[in-house]
Formats: sequence, C-alpha cells, structure tokens
Amino acid sequence: MSKFLFVVPPFFGHISPTLSIGASLLSRGHEVKWFGITPLAQTHLPEGGEFIYPETDLLPYADEIKQILKRQDDGPACSGPEVMKLALEETYVPFARMMMKGLNKFVDEWKPDVIINDCITFAGALSAHLKGIPSVTTTPVPPDVMGDAAKNTPKIFEWQQNLILGLQKDMGIYSDQIHIHSHRLNLVFTSQAFAGFEEKPPHMHFVGPVKGRPNSAEFDWDRLAKSTTPKVFVSLGTLLVDIRAAFFQKLIDAFAHEPITIIAATNPDIFEEWPDNFIVNGFVPQSELMPYMDAVICHGGFNTVNDTFTNGLPMLITPIAYDHFHTAKLIEQAGCGISIRYKRLRISDLRNTVFELLENPKYRVAAQKIRETFIEAGGNDKAVELLEDFAKNNSVLEPA
Amino acid sequence: MDTITTTKLSSEEIFNLMKKFITEVIGEEFVEEMDITPESSFTKDLEMDSIEIVSFSEKIKAHFGDQIDFTGWLSSMDLDQLINLNLGMIISYIEECQS
Repeated sequence: MSKFLFVVPPFFGHISPTLSIGASLLSRGHEVKWFGITPLAQTHLPEGGEFIYPETDLLPYADEIKQILKRQDDGPACSGPEVMKLALEETYVPFARMMMKGLNKFVDEWKPDVIINDCITFAGALSAHLKGIPSVTTTPVPPDVMGDAAKNTPKIFEWQQNLILGLQKDMGIYSDQIHIHSHRLNLVFTSQAFAGFEEKPPHMHFVGPVKGRPNSAEFDWDRLAKSTTPKVFVSLGTLLVDIRAAFFQKLIDAFAHEPITIIAATNPDIFEEWPDNFIVNGFVPQSELMPYMDAVICHGGFNTVNDTFTNGLPMLITPIAYDHFHTAKLIEQAGCGISIRYKRLRISDLRNTVFELLENPKYRVAAQKIRETFIEAGGNDKAVELLEDFAKNNSVLEPA
Repeated sequence: MDTITTTKLSSEEIFNLMKKFITEVIGEEFVEEMDITPESSFTKDLEMDSIEIVSFSEKIKAHFGDQIDFTGWLSSMDLDQLINLNLGMIISYIEECQS
C-alpha cells in the first residue's frame, strides 16, 4: 500500500477530480491526504481522507491570499494577455511561493510515496523535486496544443520561462529545466480525441472524466419529475461571482415564457423572484441530475463539460475568460455543441441556439461519440492502475 | 470580396477601413455601443478575443496581401505590448509598411 499526497489550489474545479480519484485510492487501501492553501470542508472529502491546511505557516500571507482570490473575479473583464498575467504571475507563482514552506515541512513529516500536484499548483512538483519523491501531475482541463511557443511568440515564451525559473531558483532549484510538472506521469481528465491531440507525449495519459467524490447536496426531485418540458441544466461554476446576476438575467429574458425547464446551479438569492419554469439551487448533485437533462448551458467549467458529454448531451458554451475559449473551440470541432462568446451573447441567439440544440439531432449524435471516447479512456479504474504502477516502479530517492 | 490594394492609403482611410473590419468581425450592434477612435485598445475597449483578432488579421491579409505581415508583427510582441495595443498603432504599422 502507498501514501499519496495531492497538492491542490483553492479552486474547486481543480480539486474535484482529485477527490474522485482519492476516493478510489482510499477504497483500495492506500493512504491519501490533500494539501491546500485554503481550508476545505470535511464533507467534500472521501471517507478516510485528510485535508492538510498549514494555518500557521500561511498566517503571514492571509491578506495576500484573500486579495489574490478576490482578483480572480476580474478575470471576466480581462483580455487574453491580461488573463495570462493574472493567472501565472499574480496567482500560480505567488501561491507556489506561499505553499512551499508548509508543504516541505509536511512532506518531511508524513513522507508520502508519491506527490500528485494539480497542474497550476506548482509547489507540489517543486517540493517533490527537492525531496526526491516521485511526482505525478493532474490536469483537469484539456491542455492547449500550444505549438512551438518559443518560435511563434518568443517574448511571451521567454516571460513564462523566466517567471518559472525565478520561482525555482528562489526555492533552491538551480536547474535550467522546468520542474513545475511531472515529466513521468500526467493524468488528463478528458479523452485524447476530445482534446484534439493527434499524438501525445508518452508521459501524458488521457483517462477521461473521473467520478465518485462525495456530494451531499439536496434536490427537489419531485418538482423535477413533474416538469414535462425539455430540461436544460445551467451552471456558472463556483468562481465568477460578479457577473452571476447579469448572466442569469439573460437566461430569464430568454426563457421565462418558453416551454423549457431551466435547472440552474446558483445561489437563488441573486434575484427576489425566479420564473416558474426555473428550478434554482445553490448546490446541486450535478452528476446525478445530468442523466435527466436534455441540454446544458455553461461557460466552460471543466467538470460541467465532463458531466455533459459523459451523458451524451449537447451544450451551449458561452466562454467568458481563462481556458473557456479553448474548450469552446474543442466543442465546436467535435460538433457536440455551439459556442457563443458571453460578451457577444444576444438574448435571441441564446434562445434560438438552445432550441437548435434540442431539435437538431446532429449535436446529440456528436456528443454521444465523445461519450464513447470518455468511456474508453478508462476513468477512475485507469487512473488508479496508472498510479499504483507508478508507485510500484518509482521510489523515493535521496534528496539531490 | 476584398481585392488586394496597391494604392497608398491615408491614415484616415486606414482608420475607416479598420473600423469596417472590426464591425464585420464583432457585429454591428456591439460596435454601436462603442466609440471607436485611434486610441481604442483592442483588448480593453473593443474586447476582442483571440478568435476575433484572428478573423481581423485575415481581413487585413485579404485586403493588403503580402505587403503587410500583421500576424508576424503581433507575434513579436510581449504581453504588455499586446495588452496596450490600440488602433492607432495598427494604423501607423500599416502606414509604415506602405511607404
């Protein structure tokens, strides 16, 4: 049996798949812990798992962490190049610096056999490198096929390299190689076909969506059962607080008097009243709900994208910022949905597109093809098999 | 269809042409809400995303042909230059390429 340590960012979309694989590892008798920069409610953790939050070590950064989290709300108002800066320079790199001390301490104490870092949580792979512990990376979103960034956008490539090499140096890693991700195993939670990779690097494994994390959210199933019109699930994920009201106002304008039932995952408090055909809950058992839906509207949060195509449903994606645009491109390439950028979303297009998705079978047919590639990718079983083999074949080295 | 232009355009003519391309790319009703000037920033004021910038560059290419390497010019920029890119800079670049 092995000890696995997941190192995660304070973003639930990134934590979520690690909770699902963690549950599978625990059920096979492994020891599993999570390490993060903000606390995580115990109810999210699979039984037997523990979440480590080094409160004392993070105390000096409390204000800075709060500010960075607040800054994420600026994402939707930022342009592509500004988002790159916000993400790498103002979020990922500072978080890595803040996490290192507490993480190194915990790693010395618990001595994990494998450290699994989320792709934007660099501290995990850096600590593993320093301590000679084998490391794996998890990637919840389809990686962008960047092409040859060094050649195509040399100045942006140089900026990225310098930021990462600077971080590494400050952490005591004097190497001109990049060590923020595992070079040996990278688990990607989508299929190779959907991600649009014709070839893949040998250490990259597309395992498809994973499931099984605890979700105790309640739902009014009777009300859902009574609705007779097509059901459309709408989610804006857990981030993006500021634009929530504007987004849902557009939905109300488009669908309040239409023969459609909207099942929305958002805090109902944003409006005093909702139309009768809207079922609104702050938290929903999304994976259990999805099989009853006929279509999905979302901005491109990856767990919703996975739940949608796992059920072979067509999607209207309204990309707002971050990697949403890349995901939107993949959905249009696969033919399993339609993309309308949020900033250019007209009410009439919103309405017409949803009816097009419901009435024209070609989107559903394409979505079911993606579903097949997801199933073939292997999910939890494949992820566990890869992790167990990895733990068996890689052992802790003496620190370099 | 646009034909490849060989006559030299004044900066005002270039500005009007750019404005036409932008309108075609992002849609008339969204442009109506914007006051497009040479100071308009591509990302901040016009809120163009990468897909829209690509179709904008395609229009420039279709119009000017090989005399202007707009995509090459963009890819040589660093992040701050991209963030601050405005219409006036594009107009001067096209003017330079014409001379």
